[in-house]
Amino acid sequence: MKDKIFGVLQRVGRSFMLPIALLPVAGLLLGIGSSFTNPTTIETYHLGKVIYEGGLFYTILDIMSKTGSAVFDNLALLFAMGVSIGMAKKEKEVAALSGAIAFLVMNTAISALISAKGGVEAMAENSTTSVLGITTLQMGVFGGIIVGLGVAALHNKFYKIELPQVLSFFGGTRFVPIVATVTYLIVGIAMFYLWPIVQLGISKLGVLVLNSGYAGTWIYGILERALIPFGLHHVFYMPFWQTELGGSMMIDGNLVTGAQNIFFAELASKSTTEFSVSATRFMSGKFPFMIFGLPAAAFAMYRAARPEKKKVVGSLLLSAALTSMITGITEPLEFTFLFVAPLMYAVHCVLAGLSYMLMHILNVGVGMTFSGGAIDLTLFGILQGNAKTHWVWIIVVGLIYAVVYYFVFYFMITKLNLKTPGREADDVQPKLYRRSDMNEAKAAKAADGQAVDRTSALVLKGLGGKENLSDLDCCATRLRVTVKDASKVQDALLKESGASGVIHKGNGVQVIYGPQVSVVKSHLEDFIDSPQSDDLDSIIGSVSEEASAPKQEEVTPKSTESVASDHAEITIYTHMNGTAIPLEAVEDDVFSQKILGDGIAIEPSEGKLFAPCDGKIDTVFETKHAVNMVSEDGVELLMHIGIDTVKLEGKYFETHVTDGQTVKKGDLLITFDKKAIQAAGYPLTTPLLICNTDDYSAVQPVAEGVVSAGETAIKINQ
Amino acid sequence: MKTFAYTIKDEVGIHARPAGLLAKKAKGFESTIMLEKGGKSVNLTKLMAVMGLGVKCGDTVNVTVEGADEDAAYEEMQTFFAENL
Repeated sequence: MKDKIFGVLQRVGRSFMLPIALLPVAGLLLGIGSSFTNPTTIETYHLGKVIYEGGLFYTILDIMSKTGSAVFDNLALLFAMGVSIGMAKKEKEVAALSGAIAFLVMNTAISALISAKGGVEAMAENSTTSVLGITTLQMGVFGGIIVGLGVAALHNKFYKIELPQVLSFFGGTRFVPIVATVTYLIVGIAMFYLWPIVQLGISKLGVLVLNSGYAGTWIYGILERALIPFGLHHVFYMPFWQTELGGSMMIDGNLVTGAQNIFFAELASKSTTEFSVSATRFMSGKFPFMIFGLPAAAFAMYRAARPEKKKVVGSLLLSAALTSMITGITEPLEFTFLFVAPLMYAVHCVLAGLSYMLMHILNVGVGMTFSGGAIDLTLFGILQGNAKTHWVWIIVVGLIYAVVYYFVFYFMITKLNLKTPGREADDVQPKLYRRSDMNEAKAAKAADGQAVDRTSALVLKGLGGKENLSDLDCCATRLRVTVKDASKVQDALLKESGASGVIHKGNGVQVIYGPQVSVVKSHLEDFIDSPQSDDLDSIIGSVSEEASAPKQEEVTPKSTESVASDHAEITIYTHMNGTAIPLEAVEDDVFSQKILGDGIAIEPSEGKLFAPCDGKIDTVFETKHAVNMVSEDGVELLMHIGIDTVKLEGKYFETHVTDGQTVKKGDLLITFDKKAIQAAGYPLTTPLLICNTDDYSAVQPVAEGVVSAGETAIKINQ
Repeated sequence: MKTFAYTIKDEVGIHARPAGLLAKKAKGFESTIMLEKGGKSVNLTKLMAVMGLGVKCGDTVNVTVEGADEDAAYEEMQTFFAENL
């Protein structure tokens, strides 16, 4: 169950990458554009002659700022659609359409209720906003995410639904937008009543913060960060920046309220000798972690990425880090780890809060237009002079923060094996199925209680097999197929699959199924992508032989065997979480000279040894520090935990399998007390060796760097 | 065919390391070298099988050498056992 939740979270995180990839560009546009069109900036730096409303520069900057805003203002819609696409298993375009519709429906339902209850004036201050012209509750990205996740769940459940004949036009994928609309109408109504309760709680927190000094500043910082994923940070910090909650002060004879207003009034005033920290305490804390901390965290994620992924991940992380540094827009970076590693985000919130408090204590008085990047630091800190702002402390604290963020994040990622970008398990490539994958897929299917899709097997065989298909489509009632060789089409099989007729026109074949054809097509496409489609005869055959047996009969293992033995390559997977090193680097001649066979070694990050493939345990050493097993393909494997650990005589080791036991890839074989063994003076390097290396034409170690158990470790050619 | 019996003196018996060294040695000869313990006989070049015997300190094993270079193999194996096990 835990693995399942983790798996889903990982998919969620990955599905966010599509909209997130857009954010750095939007962030730069918005950051640069809005900083230099801000009237205070223009006035302070006397840029009025170059940048003025209607002038060329102003217009360009304004376009930048507004197009950047367009992305951020509609972030929720991007997430509604992006998450739908990412989480949908098939027919993703339908999920995207449904996500957009559901998002509009939900917000419109909320909007109708708002006007029914007396309009925006009747709602709490700052609690509403306009999304795509719809007046709705301020739900931020959170609104988009609940749409995306919900729609994807509906989509995966219903995209193959078969409706009664009369309604079958609305079946399959066409049903998804329909059900999404109805569902989110209801969700919208529910949100109208539930969300204000959340908002109220947050504004109450604001009052608490104000009354508690340095500690209050810390709490303010933590909350401000923690609310970002929910889009509620505006509800929370705006009152501090803009209302008397953030303090009020007489400046040049005028009463000014709100932290940001106070700062800018002081900026404009000639009598200011030092900025009031009582106001900037709600702002300055952003600089150290935005300019230094988060980019260092990005670097840690880059370092922890798998070597082959570094290039791809590097560009994403670098642009996100630069956006944070320059403009102070942190979402692109934060969203890369928020969902895959919530714990890291929690640590980030605490450190960010601490940054606000440190700035408060160190009397740093740097304000900002909207966030804490290098642009605002330069304009409102450095250029104002250290005497007025004490901005130097930002650099000092920032440098410390960079170091802290780097080490904390790197440590967490590697120790807890968090799936930050570049560390995710690889997507399974349908075309590269190997035997073990195939068995796994079969096992998974059997576990789900699903049947081998015999109907699709019949259709595919009837059409002359996968290789004979050149195009596959359907209209309202017919499967429309173009085949390469029309003589291979077998009408009898197609009719057995449920077709009421078959029409031939040259290489075009139409198979008539009736309105449920879109479902037949979806199933068939799934089936073609699955490894079973290589093995039609055994599916059709194994069932036909035993006519009385239910048609959900599993494929017999023997028939799998015959297919699998055609694959010449065998894959062995990593046996531990940790860092993979070449065998040559192991500090023991017996291993490094490959006397016991070729393979890889892992420096484990936790005290667990897992089965590297399906197979049978041959011998568990009496001293419990090593185990021999034979894979299903006959590969003889030795896993040996530590160097010279035979001398421990079993102390600190615990075995979970016995001789002759059948195991599956990933089963726990041995646990060991990592600390105690290290304390006893033994290295924990754990080789995974192919003892019968001589039986194969090639044994190629693949894994290197930080790995988690179950990744490809060794490739073997027969 | 030549045979000798040997009682293991090494504290930890034939574990991974000595098994590896034995196999390497055995592969150097044309002769088939078998290791027998308690009625079970395995080819010395088959690492897994050798480890699977679970030979411990105090166990007596029989080594059988048969083939073209059995005299040399016999000599070397005896020396190897005496020196390492």
